[in-house]
Order: sequence, then C-alpha cells, then structure tokens
Amino acid sequence: MMELRRTVTGRITLTAVATVILLFLALPIVVIIVTSFSSNAFAAFPPKAWTFTWYTSLFADGSKWPAALSLSALVAALSTVFSLVIGVTAATALTRSELPLRSAVYALVLGPLLIPQIVTALGLFLLFEPASMLGSPLAIALGHTVLASPIAVLILVATLRGIDERLEDAAASMGAGRLTIARRITFPLAAPGMIAAAIFSFITSFDEFYISQFLSSVDTVTLPVQIYNSLTFDIDPSVTAISAILIAFAILALALVALVRWLGSGRQEPLLSVENTAGIAAPGGEAV
Amino acid sequence: MAATLTANAPARPRKLLASRRTRAGILYALPVVVYLLVLFVYPILSTLFLSLKNTDGSLTLQWYVDALTGVNLSVLFTTLRISAETALFSLVFGFILANAISRLKPLWAGVAMLIVVVPHFISALVRTYGWIILLGDKGLVNEAMAKLWVPGAPFQLLYNEIGVVIGTTSVMLPYTVLLLYGVMRGVDRRLLAAAASMGAGRVTIFRRVYLPLVAPGLASAGLLSFILSLGYYITPALMGGPQQTMIASLINQQVMKQNQWNGAAAEGVILLLLTFAGLLLVKLITSLGASRKKRSAS
Repeated sequence: MMELRRTVTGRITLTAVATVILLFLALPIVVIIVTSFSSNAFAAFPPKAWTFTWYTSLFADGSKWPAALSLSALVAALSTVFSLVIGVTAATALTRSELPLRSAVYALVLGPLLIPQIVTALGLFLLFEPASMLGSPLAIALGHTVLASPIAVLILVATLRGIDERLEDAAASMGAGRLTIARRITFPLAAPGMIAAAIFSFITSFDEFYISQFLSSVDTVTLPVQIYNSLTFDIDPSVTAISAILIAFAILALALVALVRWLGSGRQEPLLSVENTAGIAAPGGEAV
Repeated sequence: MAATLTANAPARPRKLLASRRTRAGILYALPVVVYLLVLFVYPILSTLFLSLKNTDGSLTLQWYVDALTGVNLSVLFTTLRISAETALFSLVFGFILANAISRLKPLWAGVAMLIVVVPHFISALVRTYGWIILLGDKGLVNEAMAKLWVPGAPFQLLYNEIGVVIGTTSVMLPYTVLLLYGVMRGVDRRLLAAAASMGAGRVTIFRRVYLPLVAPGLASAGLLSFILSLGYYITPALMGGPQQTMIASLINQQVMKQNQWNGAAAEGVILLLLTFAGLLLVKLITSLGASRKKRSAS
C-alpha cells in the first residue's frame, strides 16, 4: 500500500485516528502518574494542587504496602531463579541436542501461555491447598514459575538459535572442553538473552494476579492482589502512588532490556526501531 | 594435535555421537518437562477429575448441568458477549494502528510502537485503575465532553458494559497491534504494485489483493484476543457491575466465597474447552492461509 499515492485527506484522517488510538493506550498511564502527585486523589482532573502525600503514606504505620511489596519482590526473585534454571536447560535441549519428542516438549512449554491463567490458578490451588501450602511464598513462586518459565524458554531458545554453532565447533576443534566452551564462548554470547529472560520472568511474576489470589492467605498478600483489594474494598488513595511506582518500574525494566539487546547486537541497529521494540514484546518470536 | 583432532570431532562414529546427543537432550529437557507435568498438567487433570466427581466421590455430570443453567448460563453468555465485543474493537483499532505504523518513517514508527509496547508491560490492574479515574462522572473524559457542550454529558461510563469494553479493549489492543503489524510486514508489496500497474484503483487493490492477503492474520488476531478475554476478569470486576460478571470471576467466587470447588472445576473445564475450540480455529485458519500462499507461489 505504501507505494500507492494516497489522497491528502485520507492520510490526515488515518494519522488522526491512529493518534487517538495511541492516546487511548497512553492516557490511563499518564493520568495515574499525574494523579499520584495530586492533592485530591480522586475527583478533579487536572489537579489543582500538588503533593507527595500519597508517596509518604505508602510507608506510614499500619500501611499494607511494604509487606506486599517485599513479598512480591521475594516471590519474583525466587521465580526468576527457577525460570532461569529451567529456561537454560530446556533451551539447551531444544537447540543443541537430538531431542526425541521435540514438538511435544514445545507444546508443553507453550501450554501455560495459551490456556486461561484462571484455570492454571485453580489447578494450582487444588494442588497446594491439600498440602496446606496456601500463603507460602514458595508455593506462590512455584506457581508463578509455571507462567514465567515458558517465556524464559522461548527467549533463550531464540538466543541460542542466534548464536553461530560453528563458533562452538571451532573452539572444540582447538581442544576446548565442553565446560570451557560453555564458559568462554556460549555464555558471553548468550548473556544479553539471559538478562532479558531474567527481567521478563521477574516482571511476569511481579505482575501476576490470578495465581497469587488463589494461593495467598490473609497474611501473605502480593502487591497485585493488594492493589485489587484496595480498588474493590477499601478505597485507599495511596494506591495511586504505588501504581505510579509500578509504571516507572516497568518502563525502567523495558529500557534495560532494550539497552542490553542494543549492546548485545553490536550497536548496528538503532536503539529505537520498530523491530527492536516489537521484538521486546514478542520475545520468543514463535509463541503463537 | 592431529590425534586429538581426529579423536574429537568428525571421525567419531555417527551413531555414538547421535546417542550421546540424545542422552544429553533428554537430560537437559528433564527440568522443564518434570516441572510442567507436576505443576501444570497434573493440576489441570485434577481439575478435570474434580469436575466429574460428586462430593461423595461418585461420578456425576451435575456440575456441568449447574454450570449450563440459570445464572451460570447467563454468566457464560456475558463472557462470550464481552469477549466478542473486545475482540471486535481490538481488531478494528489494531488494524488501523498497525496499518498507520507500517506507513510511518522508521523513527516515528519506533515511537508509536513504544506507546503500544510499554503499556503491554504495565500491570493490567494499574491501567484499569487509570480508566476508573478517567471515566468517572467527574473524570477527564466526562469533563472534556461537558466543556465541549456534548448533549447528555456526563455519561455513565463506569460500572456498566461500556466501561468494561473500553477497559478490556485497551488491555487486549497491544496484542492485536503486534500480531497485525507482523502480518502486514509479511505482505509482499510487489503484489500491490503489480495490481496497480494493471490499472486497479486503491479500493480494488485493498479489497481484492491486500485484504485477502492479511485476512488469515486478521482472523487469528481477532480469535486470539477473544480467547485471551474469555479467561480475563480484572477489568470487568473493577469497571463493571454484577451484570458484567465473567466466567473467570465466577470461578474465583465459587472457590473463595462458596467453597464450591467442584462447580468451579466444571466452569474451568468449560473455559478450557472454549479456549481449545478457539485455538483449533486459529490453527485451521493459519494452515489454510499457509496452503493458499504455497499454491499462489507455485
């Protein structure tokens, strides 16, 4: 379509409609950031006065946010470690070996990404409830790993596929052992992919809601569940501040992934390109 | 040196090499397979068994009868309706946006893609909260409409289906934009140029060449956002009323409030079957699209 000459009005209309759709995506996020500094956290937009109250009230006495935040961080860290172990081994099996039933293993890995998370959450509840593990950070982390590890596997499979195997063969022909090859050749080349896999595993677990809700108890509530609760039951204006912090956190994590990819790609392509950004969102490249 | 070379790589008997690589493969695949069998496949199978068992342990289909009658049936219909509306809007908006991005200069395309991708990684809860602030009676949207003298403003945009569809569409839209952008990049531009050189007008080229080429991609993007919406309830629960209860929300209520695991399991299996049906359709459409592409290439 690009080569065809378009009418000016047609082009302007398309651009205008596209801008409105982009606003539709960005507006809810912008409004939270602005509101988090507004003295009147609910009504009145744009704000009449500015304040840091909601940020300081996050850490006031009796606030539920620090506990939820640290639980989510702990769970996400555990889940990241599990996902990396599973991801590195699985990606090695899928790209560097003769694996029988390879397509069955792929189907198994894609499973958690395709079926509704609520069904996975219900199944995990049925598994952990009889074991009286509800509310255990370990159980929540094990549950999150079901969703996070497939993403790690897909990213690392793409990473290992992108590494020229002849480099490894060349090292072997020079007499390097398998450990040396892994340490001196494969690992440095795969490092950007591993960092990306770790960040995405962390985000997946940190934002996960359904499994957390099923596996949490009264005393152990993850951050998303706490946000959901404060939006449904007790309207707590400090939820704007924590939401704004989460937005900053997500942007930071994505910037880090983009930076690592850019450094890893030898800086040939521009940092901000469609392929780069789209590639961040579709890490495996063959998920669907 | 020569001895180690021959001993190490090419001269090694092929069968031995293959079997060692096979053993290594099985060993390395073990963690992911065991993990997902224990924490994914087994829990889902036990959900399936639970949905077929009575409280005394005998086999029954009662839970499915319950799930498909009365209030539960209307929840199922609501779920299908909201998912269909969400899929439709995500598809239309996604098509327009992906198309516009594919025409932009690289830098602007990158900026636009960033606005699509960044929200995708911000918790859906947070984005839903943003919509709650925006769509309230005194929210930005209603205030703006009042300033523009839109008749009837302020509108009730929250706690009804309008709010739910706005919120859910904004959550699903990044998926469809990314999928459709990929599809549009896959279109061979020379076909369009060829059609133009044969004298076809813009509308004809769009309708007879471009649309058939992207149709399988459109269908699968729509179906995927439909499937994703089926199991979703964060936005409907926060931005809708009781009329907008979705099946996933019902599962949650049955477990957490009513301690009704069997019923929840049956609802879960129904959701799973709907998802499988959708995925099967996606598979069918993409394989049809692929075979058509192959035929036109040969």
